[in-house]
Amino acid sequence: MRPAGALCAAIVAAVTAAVWSQAPHVWLDPDAIGKTPVASWPTFNGDYSGERYSTLTQIGPGNVGRLARQWVFRIAAVGAQRGAPVPVIKCTPLMVGGVLFITIPDHVWALDARTGRELWHYDWVDHGGHLVGQRGVGIWKSTVFFLTPDNWLIALDANTGRELWRRNYADARKQYFSTSAPLIVKDHVIVGVGGDAMDMPGFLDSFDPANGDLQWTWWSTPRAGDPALKTWPNETAADHGGGMTWMPGTFDPGLNLLYWPTGNTNPVFAGQGRPGANLWTESIVALDLDTGKLRWYFQVSPHDTHDFDNTTAPILFDATIGGKPRKLLAQAARNGFFVTLDRVTGEHLVVKPYVPLDWASGLSPQGEPVPIPDKDPSVGGSINIVNASNWPAPAYNPHTGLVYVNSVEGKAIYYLTDDSEKPSGYGGTGMSIGRTQRVLQAIDPLTGNVVWKHEYPSLNNAPTTVGPSILATASDLVFTGDDQKNLIVYSAAKGDILWHSELGATESGGIVTCMLDGKQYIVFGAGDSLYAFSLPN
Amino acid sequence: MEKLAVQERVRNDRSIPCSRRRWRGPGLLRVPGCLLAGGIVALAAASIGQQTQNAGEDGVRQYQNMTPEQRAAATRQFLGLGAVPDKAAAARGAPVYQGNCAFCHGPQARGATGPGLITSDEVLGDDHGEHLLPFLRKGRPDKGMPAFATMPDEELRDIAEFLHLQVEEVANRGAYRVLNILVGNAAKGQEYVVAHCMSCHTAETFAHIAAKFRSPDQLQRAWIWPSRSGDERLAVTAAVKTADGPTIAGRVTQVSDFRITLVDGAGQTHVIDREPGVDVRMNDPLAAHQQMILTLTNDGMHNVTAYLDTLK
Repeated sequence: MRPAGALCAAIVAAVTAAVWSQAPHVWLDPDAIGKTPVASWPTFNGDYSGERYSTLTQIGPGNVGRLARQWVFRIAAVGAQRGAPVPVIKCTPLMVGGVLFITIPDHVWALDARTGRELWHYDWVDHGGHLVGQRGVGIWKSTVFFLTPDNWLIALDANTGRELWRRNYADARKQYFSTSAPLIVKDHVIVGVGGDAMDMPGFLDSFDPANGDLQWTWWSTPRAGDPALKTWPNETAADHGGGMTWMPGTFDPGLNLLYWPTGNTNPVFAGQGRPGANLWTESIVALDLDTGKLRWYFQVSPHDTHDFDNTTAPILFDATIGGKPRKLLAQAARNGFFVTLDRVTGEHLVVKPYVPLDWASGLSPQGEPVPIPDKDPSVGGSINIVNASNWPAPAYNPHTGLVYVNSVEGKAIYYLTDDSEKPSGYGGTGMSIGRTQRVLQAIDPLTGNVVWKHEYPSLNNAPTTVGPSILATASDLVFTGDDQKNLIVYSAAKGDILWHSELGATESGGIVTCMLDGKQYIVFGAGDSLYAFSLPN
Repeated sequence: MEKLAVQERVRNDRSIPCSRRRWRGPGLLRVPGCLLAGGIVALAAASIGQQTQNAGEDGVRQYQNMTPEQRAAATRQFLGLGAVPDKAAAARGAPVYQGNCAFCHGPQARGATGPGLITSDEVLGDDHGEHLLPFLRKGRPDKGMPAFATMPDEELRDIAEFLHLQVEEVANRGAYRVLNILVGNAAKGQEYVVAHCMSCHTAETFAHIAAKFRSPDQLQRAWIWPSRSGDERLAVTAAVKTADGPTIAGRVTQVSDFRITLVDGAGQTHVIDREPGVDVRMNDPLAAHQQMILTLTNDGMHNVTAYLDTLK
């Protein structure tokens, strides 16, 4: 070895050692996860409420114009994945102890939150599954949990990325696939699953974070002997009825209840083989954390035939109505209805369209929309709305009392492609027709009324997976973006645009904020890059 | 039950190597992956399915221009479906299946007196007969399924491929075909066109319109929402009064809250920041069609398509 080379090697070794010894140490008290996030963003929604509301005020209307990009981490070393020409960050980054954790399908990175420098990278070689997205990790003590496209729960050492254990919970050959972020609550890792190509039943699993032992399973459709089977023509149809659990739910520590949104019914567009309401697909379900037992449900789309896939976040918030404090839950559902429920009982307060729609003839006595059969997909084509929302996170600001959601107004033609008595799979197809308009809306969850809305100018039709995600802060800012690479900050009360910044791609994952070294950071993924913004020194 | 079976299968699957992940610790460099061009974006436009992305009008068109085989293959890759069924073998297996299996399992293997097979562990756990052949030879006598011990392996394999093709036709939504969508009343469709369309259009618009499209569903889509691509008359235009005075008019190629890009009549591109004092007036020649979509009934749509389909 030449002396220069030896010197270089020595420097590299010394620098590596120095960096390693200064690496932040990650340890998260599970009891801290539900608290208001200030110096961390320790779980998918920041806390368990799904509000995506931060109490931080360093960045406010008066100085937001000075927000500046601090660093960008670009995923440069992955390239095309199956069905995805370039990596797209769809996760909500978690930040614990100065370390950010981000994902795309099959990959996890730990980054230094101060610099965006990579600390470690975990790379999974999948054996099947759909690589459509990955929403992020969960953290318990010093363990990071990650779900793979082929349905493995992987436990990693948060400080090194070394694998601790893994456990398979669903078969990719049955078209189950996983994109979710595990939800960590106390000593439970709650894992949901996706996959609606093959008429499989959805389920939710709870695992022991220490060793991966299965604690309970809740099935999205009723098993033998359950009275809810009366909403299906027979047990076989229920066994193949879908209701995937592919987005993280929310949790009320006081009531010890998980609130989980369940996905579309199967067969997806062809409902003729499954007359009935098809419980508990397309619902919001309240489950006991310790047992997984169903406490109550509200079915947002009974007998769905439009892939209304009810997986938008159920937001938990409290309000005073008629002088009485109420524990409530709100959801801007994909079927176009805004729903507000009493989260103790499941009783409805508001069920009201928030986009123009005409597919329901009214509400049932339980408050559930009643679908009009003529709007079902048909051989000749049937016109109905596109999905009004999707998985990207809405937000709620308790100060304004408003829910903020990116929504779509528009129509699609739905065809029935399988008109047999025993359809299977999707059994149909839908494609938007005409202009589909993206609209940011601020909705009063106590009335369902739209307080303000902003139509995004664009020549592009809204994507079916509308977003991006939203963050609300105590300085009455709303962070989100358009479909043309702009991060945009709105005033929470009126929807005025206060600031924007052009990025390399459209915001594609969750936006988080937390304090680090006295600075409020805003961190989010846009395309293949993770961006960190803060005020300059 | 189903899930227990799943875990059983995975544990017994020796094809999964013990160490199937690559761990990269601090200080290690990654070899850059190969950047492949992807044509898959387009296919997603075909489905308002779970989590799919809409690729816009271009994507829809691109997808429609694919051959059915290309479409199926692209969706197969996108969804991460398993082994590709051997269609020739499946065709040979069809009569064998219908003669021996359909009575209990139904003509499409979706169940009859016996269970449906397309979602069964035995079928979905198999690629090309390696598990199904031994299973079929033994049968399941305790549940009334006979053993096919004397059936030649080739025929058993053909049955297996037939079953895999039934799965493919369900799971691969890129392989779906619309049925005969001509369900409307052409005479009523003509009445609709006369009543609603002739204030903007002339008979020339509709002459031989059906001959311009490959299928009635493309015709249906196109009369409701014509493609802007290749037809300058359908482009969105704008007149932009700039802060310092002049008004620029042209075809809009991009617009956001913050910027608008126009191409004027001379072909010159103008990029204008939407600052205070800049006034943007946009015009969409398809605005009347958008209004129509908001009120169009299914019967109205079917009837007009049935009428226009007669104009070959």
